[in-house]
Formats: sequence, C-alpha cells, structure tokens
Amino acid sequence: MTRYIIRRLLQGVPVLIIISMILFALMMNMGDPVAAMGGRTITRTADRERLKRQLGLDKPIYVQYLYWLVGNDWTKVDLNGDGVAETPGTRKGVLRGDFGTSLSIRGKSVVQVISERLPNTLLLMIAAEVFIILGALLIGVYSALRQYSLWDNVITAITFIFYSMPIFFIALLSMYLFGVLFKQWGLPYLPTVGMFDPQIGQTPGQVALHMVLPVLSIALISFAAYSRYVRSTMLEVMSQDYIRTARSKGLPRREIIFIHALKNASLPIVTVVGLDLPLLLGGAVVTERIFAWPGMGRLFLDQVGRADTPVVMGILMMIAVAVVVFQVITDIVYAWLDPRIRYGT
Amino acid sequence: MNPKKSLFTLVLVITVLATACTPAAQPTTLVQPTAVEPTKAEPTQTSASTGGRKVATFLWRQEFDSLSPLYTSMWFSTTTWELWNCYAWYSDEKNIAHPRLVKEIPSTENGGVSADYKTITMKLRDDIKWSDGQPITSDDFIFTYKMWIDPKNTVSSVRPYDLIESMEAPDKQTVVMKFTDPFAPWEAQLWKGLLPAHILQPVFEKDGTLDKAAWNAAPTVGCGPYVFKEWQSGSFARFVASDNYWLGKPKIDEIFMRFVPDDASMLNAMKAGDGNLAAFPPYSDIPAYQKAGLNLVTEPSGFNESWFFLINKDKGHPAMLDVRVRQAIAMAFDRVKLNQDLHYGLTKVPASYWDALPFWNTPPMQTYPYDPEGAKKLLDEAGWVVGTDGVREKDGKKLVLRYGTTIREDRQNVQAIAQQELAAVGIKLDLASYESDVFFADFANNGPAATGQVDIQEWSDAPAFPDPDIFYWLCSEIPTTEKPSGQNSFYLCDPELDALIEQQASQLDVTERQKTIEKINQIFHDKVYWLGLWQDPDIWVFDSKLQNVKFSGVTPLFNIMEWDMTQ
Amino acid sequence: MTTTTATPGPIAQLTHDVLEAPPLTLRDLAWRRFRRHKMALFGGITLILLVAYALVGTLIYPESYANHNDTGQALQAPSAAHPFGTDPIGRDVLARTIYGAQISLLIGLAAVTIETLAGILIGALAGYYGGWLDSVLMRFTEAMLIIPEIFLLIVMAKFFGNKIPDINLFGRIFSGSVIVIVVIIGLTSWMYLARIVRAEFLSLKENDFILAAHATGTPNLQIIIGHILPNSIAPIVVSATLGVANAILAEAYISFLGLGVQPPTATWGNMLDNANSYMDTAPWLWFFPGLLILLTVLSINFLGDGLRDALDPRSRTV
Repeated sequence: MTRYIIRRLLQGVPVLIIISMILFALMMNMGDPVAAMGGRTITRTADRERLKRQLGLDKPIYVQYLYWLVGNDWTKVDLNGDGVAETPGTRKGVLRGDFGTSLSIRGKSVVQVISERLPNTLLLMIAAEVFIILGALLIGVYSALRQYSLWDNVITAITFIFYSMPIFFIALLSMYLFGVLFKQWGLPYLPTVGMFDPQIGQTPGQVALHMVLPVLSIALISFAAYSRYVRSTMLEVMSQDYIRTARSKGLPRREIIFIHALKNASLPIVTVVGLDLPLLLGGAVVTERIFAWPGMGRLFLDQVGRADTPVVMGILMMIAVAVVVFQVITDIVYAWLDPRIRYGT
Repeated sequence: MNPKKSLFTLVLVITVLATACTPAAQPTTLVQPTAVEPTKAEPTQTSASTGGRKVATFLWRQEFDSLSPLYTSMWFSTTTWELWNCYAWYSDEKNIAHPRLVKEIPSTENGGVSADYKTITMKLRDDIKWSDGQPITSDDFIFTYKMWIDPKNTVSSVRPYDLIESMEAPDKQTVVMKFTDPFAPWEAQLWKGLLPAHILQPVFEKDGTLDKAAWNAAPTVGCGPYVFKEWQSGSFARFVASDNYWLGKPKIDEIFMRFVPDDASMLNAMKAGDGNLAAFPPYSDIPAYQKAGLNLVTEPSGFNESWFFLINKDKGHPAMLDVRVRQAIAMAFDRVKLNQDLHYGLTKVPASYWDALPFWNTPPMQTYPYDPEGAKKLLDEAGWVVGTDGVREKDGKKLVLRYGTTIREDRQNVQAIAQQELAAVGIKLDLASYESDVFFADFANNGPAATGQVDIQEWSDAPAFPDPDIFYWLCSEIPTTEKPSGQNSFYLCDPELDALIEQQASQLDVTERQKTIEKINQIFHDKVYWLGLWQDPDIWVFDSKLQNVKFSGVTPLFNIMEWDMTQ
Repeated sequence: MTTTTATPGPIAQLTHDVLEAPPLTLRDLAWRRFRRHKMALFGGITLILLVAYALVGTLIYPESYANHNDTGQALQAPSAAHPFGTDPIGRDVLARTIYGAQISLLIGLAAVTIETLAGILIGALAGYYGGWLDSVLMRFTEAMLIIPEIFLLIVMAKFFGNKIPDINLFGRIFSGSVIVIVVIIGLTSWMYLARIVRAEFLSLKENDFILAAHATGTPNLQIIIGHILPNSIAPIVVSATLGVANAILAEAYISFLGLGVQPPTATWGNMLDNANSYMDTAPWLWFFPGLLILLTVLSINFLGDGLRDALDPRSRTV
C-alpha cells in the first residue's frame, strides 16, 4: 500500500508540470494585461512598450515560462529600454518557491495575494460543505427509507426546485428578500454585502451573520445532487441480501441503516466529496462576487479578467497539488470502505 | 414511528438554525425608504465602538490595484488620492481650477509660465504638511519627478513627466520645470499625487526600486484631509480623518470603501442602506435608485461613448473609405431616441468630441439628424445597391460591417438596436463582443481592434479632460510589427488631421489652440471619423444622510472635507 | 369396449404454458415500474410539452420578431399585445422564451451527449483494464479536474469566442458561440462520471459472474458492454439526467460572466441574467425564463429518477 501511495504521488509530478505548461500557454493567449493599465482611458503606446519590457512580457512565451519556473536571477534583464540587458533579475522561480509578483496588483507577491484571500474562502466553503454533507445525508437516507411516500416527494420537489435555479439568481433573490424587503417591512433582516458592518467592526458574530446568505445560497443548490446520490445508493444497498439477512436476524433498524447500509452506500459519496474538497480552495466564484465576499473565487475571476498570469497560475497550481493529494487519499479511503477493491500490482 | 420523527425533526431543526435570526447586537438605525427630514436624530446608538462617529460607506465597483500615484491609473484608485494624497491644484463642480498646494496657478500673467511657454514655475504654500507633521517642500516634488522617470520603477504611465527636460528647486517653496517643447496640457496632467520624500527616499535607496515598497499598498503618510488606515484585500479600505490637515479637520470621521463588483448587489446594498454612496451605476438601474429615494448626480468628465471607424484600404471594408457611406451610417442611427429611451434622457448626443468642453467646441458642432431616407439616398449615390436579401452590394461585395465592443450589457443592447436600424437602410452589422482585456489588447496580442478586424469600434473615451488634447488619430500611432503597441486601431492616416493634432499639443496660446481645435472638430464632423453616441458623465448615487456633497469631473471628491453626515 | 376420449373442454384446452402468466420482457418490467413513479410521469409529460412549446411556438412567431427591438416599448408589463411583457429594449419576452427554449434545450442535450460518451469511455477502460491504462487515464482525468471548470469555460470562450462561424441548421442560423458553449460544457463535465463508472467497474469486475464469463471465453468488449455496463446503468442515468440540468444552468452561469451566447440571440440563461437588476421593477423578465428553466430541469430530473428506478436490474419489485 505504501508503495502504491508513493507511486501515485510520484506520478503526480509530471502531470503537474504538463498542466502548468498547458495552462501557461492558455493564459498567455487570453488577453493583454497591459491593456487595462491605463485606467479609464486606454494605455498610451509608449507606456505599453515600457510596461511590457519591465514586466518581462515582451519575451517569447517559452522564455516567460522558463522564468516562471526557474526564475531569472541567473540572467540579466533590460530595464531601461536600450536593448542591452544590464540588471540582474530578481525572480527565483516556482521550483524554489517564488511564484512571482502580481501583474495588476502592483508590488504584491502572488503568495501574499493568495494568502490574504484564502482564509475567507476556507471559512465560507468549509461551513457550506459541512452543511451540505449533513443535510444531504439526512435528506438522502430519509428519502431512501420512505421511497415514494408523500414526504419523499415533497422533499425531492423542494430540493430540486433549488437545484434548478442558477446560483446568481438564488443569491440575488435571497439578498433582495432577506436584506432589502425584510428591512423595509420591519422584520429581522440580514446584511446584504461584505463580511461585516463597518459601524460595528470585524467581530466573529458579524462575520457569522454575513456568512448566512452566501452559505445558504451555495448549500441549497448542492443538496439535491448530493442527496440524490445518497438516496440512490442507499436504495441499491437496502435491497441487497445481506441487509435482508440482518433484518431477519433482528438487528435494530438504526444499526442496520447506519452501520451496514450506509457504510456500503458511501462509496459514491466519498467520490464526490473527495473530488470536491480540493476545489473548495477555488471558492465559489459567483457567490463571492455577488455578496462581495473577499475570497479566492473572486480573486480568480478578477485576475483572469485582467490577464494576470502569475496570480492565476499560483491559484491553479495550488489547486492542482491539492487535487493530486486528495485523489490518493480518496483511493485509500475506497480500499478501506470496500475490501473487494484491489489495486493492480 | 420514532426514527422517522427524529430524522424529520433533525432536518427541521437544522433548517431553522440555518435561516436567519437577528442577534441582539444589530445597530438600531432604520433606513427610511423615502428621503424624509434627514435631521431626525436617533435617541440611542447601541454600538458602543463607534460612539457617535460618522462613518460614510462608499461602494466601489473595482478594487484598487495599488494606491501609489506611481503605479495605478485606475479611476477607483486615483479618486482616493483626493482623500489621502494632495494635488497641486483641483477643479470644482464647474471644472474651474483652483490652487491647493501652490499659492496660485502658474500662468503667463503672473509669470508662472514663461514667454516661450517652456518653463513653468510653481510657488508652494508654506503651511502645507504631511500627515505626520513634516512640511511639504519642493524636495518632495523633485523626488516624485525623479521616481516617475526612473526606469527601475515600473510606473503605470510616465507621461507627461518624460516631457520635462529638467526640474529644479531654487528654494524650499519653489519648483521650476523646464519642458523640451511647449506642452499645452500641462495643467490637466501634472501633479496629481505626491510622494513623501522623507519616507520613500530611504526605501528607494535600499531596494533600488519602489515597486515593492510597503507604502504602495499602505500609504500611512499622506497629505490629504484623510489618512489611510487599512486596506483588506478584496474586502474594504478605510480612511480616517486627519488631525494634521492644514485646512482643518473634515466633518466625517471615517470613509469606509467596500468593494462590491456586482451591479445588482450594489443596488440592493444601497437600497438597504448598507452603503451611502455608489459610483457608476448602470443606466438601466437608475429608475430603481430613484424609486428608492436616492439622490443622483451626473457630472461631465469629458467621456463620450463613441463609434470609431476602421478606414483603411488594405485592412478595412471598401465601403468605409467612402465618406458618403459613413455619413449614411450617422444618419441611419437614431441616437436621440437611444439617449431618451435607454438613458431616460439623462444623457445627450455629443456632436463633438469636445462636447463637455464648450470652450473648445466653438462654434458648436451640429450632429447628423436621424434621416433614414437621406441615408438610403447617399448609399444609392455611392453605388451600393440593395440586393435580393435586403443587404446592399457593389461590385460583388456585400455591405456587411463588423461591429465590436465589450461585453457590458448596455453596450450589447446598443448593438442590437444599431443592427436593426442599420438593417433598415440595407447595411448588415455582424455583432461581436469581447472581454475588455481581449478587446483592447494590442497588435502583438492579437487584439481584434488593433489587428484591424473590427470596422465599427465602440468604447468610451475622452480628451485629456479638462484639456482638449487627443492623440489616437496620429499616423505614427498605427500599429505595425515594429510598433506593436500603436493605438491608432482605425489605421487612419490623414495628413491634414495629423498636422493639426501635433500642432495643438504645443500651442499654449489659448486663442491659437482654439482655432486649431475648431479645424479638427470640423474635419471630424465632415469626414465622420468619429461618431458620438452619448455623453458619458460620471454618475454618482448617494443617500440623504450625506450633506454638502459636490462632485467635479476632474477631481471628483474635491470638497470631501466639507461633506457631512446625519445619523 | 371403445374408450371414448371426449374432446377436451375449454379449460382443459389451456396448455401448461398458457396457464402461467407469460414472462415479462425487460421492457414491460421497466415500463411497469416507471408507471408507478408518478413524478417521473409528470416529468415526462412536462418535457414533451416544453419541446412542443419550443417547436410549435416557432410557427406562431418568426425569429425576426423575437429579435425585433423598439426602445419605445421597453419594459412593458404583460398585456394583450405582449403576453409575457417586453425586455429593456422592447423585445417580446414570449417570443424570446420560445427561441431561447430551442437554444437552451439544444445546448443541454448536446453537451450531455458529449460528456456521457466521454465519461463512459474513459471510466470503463480505466476500471476494466486497470494497470498502466488506468494510471494514464486517471492522470488525465485528474489533469482535467485540476483546471477548474470556470477557468476552462472562460478560456475557451475567450479563445473561440468570435472565431466559429454561424451554422445553418433546420433553417435557423445558430451563432457559433452556441457550439463553443456545447463543447466547453461537455468537456468540463465528464470527469465525475468517469470516476464513478471506474469505481463501479472496479468493484463489479471482481464478481463471480464476470469470472464465469471470462472462463467461458467471452470477449472483453462484450463483457464490458453486455455484462458490466448494464449493471452500472443506474449512476450513468442519474449522472446524465443531472447533466442536462447542469448544462442548462451552466449556460446561465456563463451568461452571467458575460461570455455566453452572443446577443441578440436569446437563451433562457442570458434572459435570466439580464433580469438581475429588475427584480422588483420588472419581475416578468425573470419570472418566465426562470419558470421555464425550473420546469425543464425539474421534469428532466424526475424523469431520470424514474428511469433509474425502472432500469435497475437488481431491483426485484414489479
């Protein structure tokens, strides 16, 4: 097993390198970071040329990738535009831990930019994920046990109604309802945007209050998908012979459901959760944008829109490493849950 | 029955917990849905931390990329400089300039501007101070200039400091700038923001550059009515009233800027009272803002939403070379109706590129009237005959033009309307919309406009407001492989126009310059090199809590220290 | 004495086989179970009605009417002339929902076809053959998963945005951006299914009946398609049906980011997106496209649910 784990992790390394090359090439063709630097008016010609030179954007793409990967402190760059490279570079490259500086957020390193936003995203996404898993398990198990009953249909209908609305719609509707209308009607209301109220300050109570609507928006949509998976696998498992045997042996209902059935039904759920966990790092792009939540998703969207390659590459590589690691963990959990699964030698 | 009940109650309990119950610590201020007497004071403020402090919340649609004057040209960033940084002179709500750091604005009458227009002398006030108490002197100006032009600093725009041949400080209160050539737009473009030499000089000497200075993101030393307090990435920025401002202490204690990128969220937040001021709401939301009882102010800032035409015999459509076709396009598009219906009459059709600067639009241009029949006649005259599918053609070539702009919703609406109106006279428009960093990418990055793929290009632009300077149409600005960053995406080279543009940039004599601009104005009109869709002013929305609010198109928050806030 | 064999009476004429009920075919069994699922029936009927709405509606309103704008008529509430009201530049909302239905449904079905085929192919091969093929395919799946869907959506939309020409299908001109969206939604959604199919194959291939099939010399392809795949049909059907819903919503999501189908073409997604600022001032702008998306997605999901229950070979209930 340890050999398997090590092999899988090692297999991840060339994948990461290839992915970084593909993504870098895509990013390069995605827009001009210098185009937006003029502010409300278009950047002037002389400034464009100078900025490109100073930011290293005038080099061919493979040279830029090389500098990104291994840095440029072993070579010289031309800063004053006379065509002669005279100043030693300052970048160390990703392999030595230097992800570079952001092109649009001037002067801040990529690591700094990401680490400012990461905690906010984790706060939101972990809360949402916990909420979703608990809710989905409850709803899914309940629906499976009461298949086709009135409650099953009602709960199914409600979860699906939320599932079939686009998230920006649920987010805006809930913001309008709980933030604007409730306030106008004099009912207890929720805040609309941001992480806290400036009059009060950034207290845990304020943050929790401001988290309610975003978490709710994210969770409501995911309940349906997750609970359907739970429900369908529970149904399959519940009709198996060994469940019938356990029932005829007189085991208590709760023990049958939670110990025997759920454990075997949890494979697809482990799949989905295992795949989703690393993507939590990417944040919820639309929700964060609408609720003005300062997270990774918004950072990603903003920086892609400004063609800020270093930051976007930093976020993607972070997610990449997380996905590789979590894939291995998921496979190990598979093997623990289903002893029939054997991995090839 | 028990497992069923307990499961169900569990679900119910979780759902209830998840929905909101307001905790007791909410502030007690209620939002009046309509503007009532603003002086109605609330009896108690339960939030002990503010204790009666006046905090104004501004909703900013874009987050700053940097706060330093060197490193950003973003409007949302430059506007904050009026809070914590200082300009040599500012403009009021009528866009008339007044001195701030200088005793008076240099001119030929007071000797500030030399007779050959090449030397400008500024006399600084002696009571001006940085927020830490240090005096502002000519050393700061010289330092700022040196930092602008130093190649080790990756500044956003060197212009116009690269046009200064030399700068000297004969004494602590005098700054002398010598230009290589007379530079007419100097007043509009110089000295918007100052760097504190006593803070940043040591940083520059240590690092060799200011690119990574902590001051760029946290300018704790400034020279404005407010001092920077905090900037949390993606979330907010705070500016508190300065105790050391030489003109006195502002009335509002703190300005809290929250970054809210989504339009609909901004609308909801303003309606709920979570924001006191918002900038640039989309026109489509304006009725909603008005219905909610919020105040609306539009302030011309020189910007016009414009159509620019690709006029080049190699790259463009042959029809665009014919001035009659361009005139027909102008007459086939009912822009007055566009302004009235889409913008609720808040904007008007600009007849001239300098529509917001009446002095330079003298005598005022008249725009082409909406006349589809006249347009059809012109097109027939030009030889473009209506084909069987309703699209005009000539010599086997169909009159199909590519019309491109960014993905903003109101622009996409304009595209749909224009497509229909021009189709009525037989011109087919192929619509395309791009994200802005793709659309404005330069020739080297395959930008669609820069590589000549768009016949009608639409975006909003201004001269160097309040100065009339322009540069796009210069022949030297045409992008080529040797000069890939050229801005003349219209590939237009008109020698007469070229000469006039070069000329006006060097004419400091206002009467001379006005005559030159008048000629350019006339060419733009007669040859339809540019077509104005609507005058694009700054739009501000604010609630009735804010008092004494005035805006300028040049220096938007010029009187921020006089603003007041009722609770 | 002559034994008279009396002609057998009607009851005696019945043979042994006819007395017992004839065995039900899989199709009959599936249909019976499907009928029991009331919600699935509702879903199926609603879906048929929606498709009819999309097709019949085009006979009533020509496409040019759906795109005809008149700013003087902007934001009118529903009335006799415009049963669903008008949008911000005066276009008729009813006609736009009809033509939007065509695009949205087309995007949904086409994208799901791509993603299901890709997911089954990769998951089956990886799960069945194992070894280095499994490793390579799973690394590839990981690679695709690493690139977040939204990034890929944005990148491909920017890349191909205006480069694919309009196509002419069934007498209607479809903007090239529709193809871009179909492809990118399809290519960003197959990974979940691939992993689930692989997991199913991994556990199913160890079963005795598969070993038996190997022992009798059944070729691999037949084992995959004829033996293992039918047993894993349930998660595939669930995934496919949720996928159509997901594709229709993904289209709305892309429209929110501004990279959706080029205007003036209407889709439910971009109609819903344009209604964001008019929540209270013009609710008909979001109500009708929202309702249609809701009904479509809901009915597809119920339908898929019923299909899954009906097709499950391990379920013994009739």
